[in-house]
Amino acid sequence: MNDMLIGAIVTASLIAALFFLRFWRSTGDRFFLFFSLAFASDAVNRLLLGAATVDSDDMPAYYIIRLLGYGLILFAIYDKNRPRS
Amino acid sequence: MAAIIYALCAITSMLCSWLLLRGYRRNGYRLLFWSGLCFVGLSVNNILLILDRIVFPTSVDLLTWRLVAALIALLPLLYGLIWEE
Repeated sequence: MNDMLIGAIVTASLIAALFFLRFWRSTGDRFFLFFSLAFASDAVNRLLLGAATVDSDDMPAYYIIRLLGYGLILFAIYDKNRPRS
Repeated sequence: MAAIIYALCAITSMLCSWLLLRGYRRNGYRLLFWSGLCFVGLSVNNILLILDRIVFPTSVDLLTWRLVAALIALLPLLYGLIWEE
């Protein structure tokens, strides 16, 4: 059951990443590129967690990838809203 | 260390959802709404992670619920990406 859910989450994240990549290509707005990278990193994070043995000691380290992905989203929002000179 | 990483994941995801939904309220760009909704679900996912690993490390196993929350989080985003653009 859990493996199936992980597979679905990884697929959904990758699809979202690909859509954002397409928006980036069609608009040239790097806001979408950051979103694409964030969802791709989320997919990688879930894939690694799914492949890892449950409750291994280095588990928290995998979540740094997730944290970096969220950081990309925050940076994208900051980048979009900062005043242009 | 683990507690800090999990807490940062939860805080950044909540910050992302707040900023995205605030952005939607300001400019009405619907993709921000779907992204914000996605991050609300991912925040739930990360809060469940803290409950599962830090607050109740041995007494409960919330893995399936965490995965369900993450999958449900991604579905409105996929809907938005497919139908809105």
